[in-house]
Amino acid sequence: MIIDWYTIIFQIINFLILVFLLRHFFYGPIIKMMDDRERKIVEREEEAEASRRKAEQETEAYRQKNEELEQKQEELLDKARSDAEEEKSELLNNARSEVDQTRRRWEEALEREKEAFIIELRRRIGLQACLLARHCLDDLADARLEELIWNQFMAKIGELSDHDRSELEKGFKANDFRLNLSSAFDAGEDKIKDLKKKLKVIYSDSEAELELEYKKDSALICGLELEAGGYRVSWNIDSYLEGIEADILKELNQVGPVEDNGEVPAGDQSENS
Amino acid sequence: MTINPDEIIYFQMGWFKINATIFFTWLIIIFVTFGSWLITRKMTSEGPLSRWQNLLEVIVEVINNQIREVSRQEPGPYLPFVGTLFLFIAISNVLAIVPGYIAPTSSLSTTAALAISVFIAVPVFGIAGQGVMNYLRQYLQPTFFMLPFNIIGELSRTLALAVRLYGNMMSGTVIVAILLTITPLIFPVVMQALGLLTGLIQAYIFAILAMVYIASASQVHQTLEKKSEQ
Repeated sequence: MIIDWYTIIFQIINFLILVFLLRHFFYGPIIKMMDDRERKIVEREEEAEASRRKAEQETEAYRQKNEELEQKQEELLDKARSDAEEEKSELLNNARSEVDQTRRRWEEALEREKEAFIIELRRRIGLQACLLARHCLDDLADARLEELIWNQFMAKIGELSDHDRSELEKGFKANDFRLNLSSAFDAGEDKIKDLKKKLKVIYSDSEAELELEYKKDSALICGLELEAGGYRVSWNIDSYLEGIEADILKELNQVGPVEDNGEVPAGDQSENS
Repeated sequence: MTINPDEIIYFQMGWFKINATIFFTWLIIIFVTFGSWLITRKMTSEGPLSRWQNLLEVIVEVINNQIREVSRQEPGPYLPFVGTLFLFIAISNVLAIVPGYIAPTSSLSTTAALAISVFIAVPVFGIAGQGVMNYLRQYLQPTFFMLPFNIIGELSRTLALAVRLYGNMMSGTVIVAILLTITPLIFPVVMQALGLLTGLIQAYIFAILAMVYIASASQVHQTLEKKSEQ
């Protein structure tokens, strides 16, 4: 017989057992595993989405911070730049003023040196000219230079203008009719007497006796000076020397350092000396 | 040669006997269960899958999809029954290429047993799905007079299931046996290859038909539900 009921029942039982076993060992675990995986994938995607969003937020936050920092940096840089600019201009001004001061000091020093040099030069030129003139007079005219100077002085006194004469008169009248004579060289008694005589001739109308005090003064270069109460009549080589001095100063300014204003400051000073 | 493996008896003790059908069924049960256990115990839900796990998942997924397509329902409750039908038949048919192996499905007893299982499962799933009264009312559709025909249809399709599978599998074995006596070389191999194909197709057909029957039994409820929803 083809159909064996014993086997059929046995096979039904076998099949049910197989269903049970497979359900337990096969379908259950695999379905569970697949569901697990699906759930995990979904979870992971959600996590990824969340972390992406968080990352975006953080990126945004960092970008903002960065911008703020850049702005601050820019401000700081600007401030530093302006500070540096101020500092620079201040330093420059300081340096300029220092340089100006130094230059002024240097110029003043130079001026003083020049002045001193000119004074010295004038003195020497005067002496040299004096010496030269004395030698010339000695050699050529066979006369003493003092003599000539004296004669010149006497002539000058003789040719005093009315104004000068009255001034001198006022001078010695205020000074108790006392006159001071200073000379660079030794004037003899005769000469002083001559001068007295000449003065008497000039001021013949004055009732009092004129007194003449003689003093030797080597600072007067080859010259004579008559002084009374602040008024003085003199002849010396100074006037000539001043001419020479002006010439020399002119030469110096052309050769020496160029002045800023192009003027000759020494000219004023030479008049005062 | 023996056509019926039921008649090959390995062990007998009184009324208790173990014939080839039962023996090879047990072998398949052990093989499948052990294999499943071996693979599923090392399964992971993360990281790279092992090839075996992948294979099993593909099989389960394919069966699930088939059930879903046929029944238009979630495969959850049907999977163990229908899937096991398919796997048991497919494995027992495919193993036919192993020399000395006798497919349990080439015994009418086995196929009848499977068909009876389906025969029982249909009302069980039907009642579980829509309740006793709803299920029984199906037999009176469209009219009361259709009851006998419905019952006959139920029985005949069970018989058809059993005989179809049995015929196919036994014929395969028989054809190979006959061909071996006529042309011992090459041709039986081709027939065996063909036998593998028909074996898989039969497994598929059996499982799908079983699913169709079960689905038709629980379908009414679904359609009624849909109508009420509308």
